[in-house]
Amino acid sequence: MSEAMTRNEQVGGEEPRIGVFICHCGGNISDVVDVKRVAEEIGKLPNVAISTTHMFMCSDPGQGLIQEKIKECGLNRVIVAACSPSLHELTFRRTLNRAGLNPYLFEHTNVREQVSWVVDDKELATQKTTRLIRAAVGRTRHLVPLEKRHIPIHPATLVIGGGVAGLTAARDLARRGIEVTLIEHSDHLGGRMADLGHLFPTEDKAGDLLEPLIQEVLAAQKIRVYTHAKVEESTGAIGDFHLKIRLGGNGKPGEVVEAHVGVVILAIGLEEYAPREGEYGMGLYPQVITLLDLARELAKERPGQEFTLNGRPIRNVAFLHCVGSRQHPGVHKPGPQGKINDYCSRYCCTGILHSACELKKRYPHLNIYEFFEDIRAYGRGHEEYYTKASEEGVRFVRFDPLRPPCVEKDPRGESPLVVRSIDRLTENMEVEVPADLVVLGIGLQARDMSKLIDLYRCSVGVDRFLLEVHPKLRPVELAVSGVFLGGSAQGPMDITEATAAAAAAASKAAAMITQGEIEMDPFIAKVKEELCTGCRICLSVCPYDAISRDEEKGIAVISEKLCTGCGTCAASCPSNAIQQFGFNDAEVKSEVLALLGVPEREPVAA
Amino acid sequence: MERVQTETANPKVAEEWQPRIVGFLCYWCSYTGADGAGTARILYAPNVDIVKVMCSGRIDPELVTTAFARGADGVLVCGCHIGDCHYINGNHKTMARMPLLKRLLTDLGIEPERFRHEWVSAAEGQKFAQLVTEMTEQVRKLGPLNWPGIMHRRGVGHGQDLRPWGE
Repeated sequence: MSEAMTRNEQVGGEEPRIGVFICHCGGNISDVVDVKRVAEEIGKLPNVAISTTHMFMCSDPGQGLIQEKIKECGLNRVIVAACSPSLHELTFRRTLNRAGLNPYLFEHTNVREQVSWVVDDKELATQKTTRLIRAAVGRTRHLVPLEKRHIPIHPATLVIGGGVAGLTAARDLARRGIEVTLIEHSDHLGGRMADLGHLFPTEDKAGDLLEPLIQEVLAAQKIRVYTHAKVEESTGAIGDFHLKIRLGGNGKPGEVVEAHVGVVILAIGLEEYAPREGEYGMGLYPQVITLLDLARELAKERPGQEFTLNGRPIRNVAFLHCVGSRQHPGVHKPGPQGKINDYCSRYCCTGILHSACELKKRYPHLNIYEFFEDIRAYGRGHEEYYTKASEEGVRFVRFDPLRPPCVEKDPRGESPLVVRSIDRLTENMEVEVPADLVVLGIGLQARDMSKLIDLYRCSVGVDRFLLEVHPKLRPVELAVSGVFLGGSAQGPMDITEATAAAAAAASKAAAMITQGEIEMDPFIAKVKEELCTGCRICLSVCPYDAISRDEEKGIAVISEKLCTGCGTCAASCPSNAIQQFGFNDAEVKSEVLALLGVPEREPVAA
Repeated sequence: MERVQTETANPKVAEEWQPRIVGFLCYWCSYTGADGAGTARILYAPNVDIVKVMCSGRIDPELVTTAFARGADGVLVCGCHIGDCHYINGNHKTMARMPLLKRLLTDLGIEPERFRHEWVSAAEGQKFAQLVTEMTEQVRKLGPLNWPGIMHRRGVGHGQDLRPWGE
């Protein structure tokens, strides 16, 4: 069937001898499922050499039992029926490995999350468990030993983005002695942080943190820095990316430099939400500014002077929370891409509270109002700003998200503007406050990353930010191997979080490079040359452009490095010439047939 | 074998008959969503047996027809929402294939309620549980499918794939 099949030394044409191990999960499963009866039923199936139960299969004694039975009964395939494979599939693959069995001759059946926790009728739960394990037996008969793929990594990295996250990633990599090419599309390093003054929660000045970082990056021998630079072309895959980087300034395209790297870190950041013309008076009244405008203003620091706007002294300041964040359909108009930002931008609550405290410190006479939907000062040291703002006399008005506040000219002309809202804290009383300055706590949104999404085949969430493989199990990794997310391209973050993500990405990249090669799951697709008719259908369905056509032989060829193992090509091949390891036709079809209780009499064509 | 006439079926008997539904779920969104229903201990009908694939794009229409031909009373296909695919756009292929398959199945005498194709995200455990219970009830009302029997009566049941191995 393939190299993997012919490599099948351990099973080597032997009859399958399957061991089925059913976990009680300390009662989580066995309280609902009659595991003893299931084990008996399953034990009667052909090719099942042993079928038994254990209180905790993932425990040392549980795993020990599996290892012992593999030796004692000469098992060549193993099924564990327990929790979800996302929890312990890897645990048991390792168990097989320790027992000298190929780790891919293993099937994990989920009878906790998908049976005992969702079915209360004991009889029906026992029947469902039996069916699912029977299906696993059908599938397992056809499993073949697979080998992880080993791919060499060229020891150099590309960091895209010269903001604080990109700088952090580049510095961390260089400190480990790894070569870095850092590119930044604008004319300066430091990104958005370069505009800011004091930062929450440490009250450091942004410049004091950023300057030494930039100096270290510029001085590092291992780092090449290009500003006014953009990726023009990127070919190859993990371990071996070849890039063409276009330099240029003043709008003119300049020369092209080339880079050869093994790993790429995307630290491209995000953009501020741009309020629409007229949204909360934006663009209509000069007194309406954004939180970042205010931060830039405060960064200038003019101690002792009065707080003025266009020469007019400011007495009353109104902050509006959630502008361009947590938007509601029907209340907020969709942006240019036809979508609303229904997520929380995370930085803005603390950002507003921090600015309010800063204003109060410098100009104690100011009246400050905050119009909020909820206060989410979630980070360490953030809640303190809320407490402080409350103590300093900042007044809080809680608006109804479906009836957001409105900003208007003061009809009495006493103050330039008024902000009107209902206040849920006082049983929906109508509130109107005068304002010399209205500060919109604008949210953050994904920037246009279409070029990079295209180049690196990034997965994108419904919120338009990039998606990591798994937020807990594989943070900062993109589904495309060898590309990491360093910072806020994956969602709104404050500087603390963005630098943490960048450091995580750098450390994962460095680990990959230090190892010199990586192991990848073997679930990729492969073309059976003798069956391929060269029709090109698979080329058109592959989301990763991993398939090309060998014009000489007239057949399709799948790149091992680019294939991520989705199996879409296998489903579309009219000649059944493409098989996905781990999910080949024989495996999946037998699973379905066994599930339906069809006795297996004839071999299923693979 | 004759199909059960649901109109005249004794509700008690119908209660005892359990529809067999095969659920093909992509691993990253829908399977994780189903796990979420478990973690949240949401009770739902035990009639959908899940077959895991990495991406809904892997679901070959032949797998669906095989399931019907070999005894399934219903088939459920779930993948990531459009725009949220772990494999960029593997589910776009699912979106293109499944409506066509549904038409084909309808032409072959399978009621549309027996074949459903829905998007379930990793966070939509509740939605998955509701979907399964709802579909189970719909299929229960329709009664057993016995597709090979239908095809035989129509005079088209000659393909090997349409004969259950048990016969």
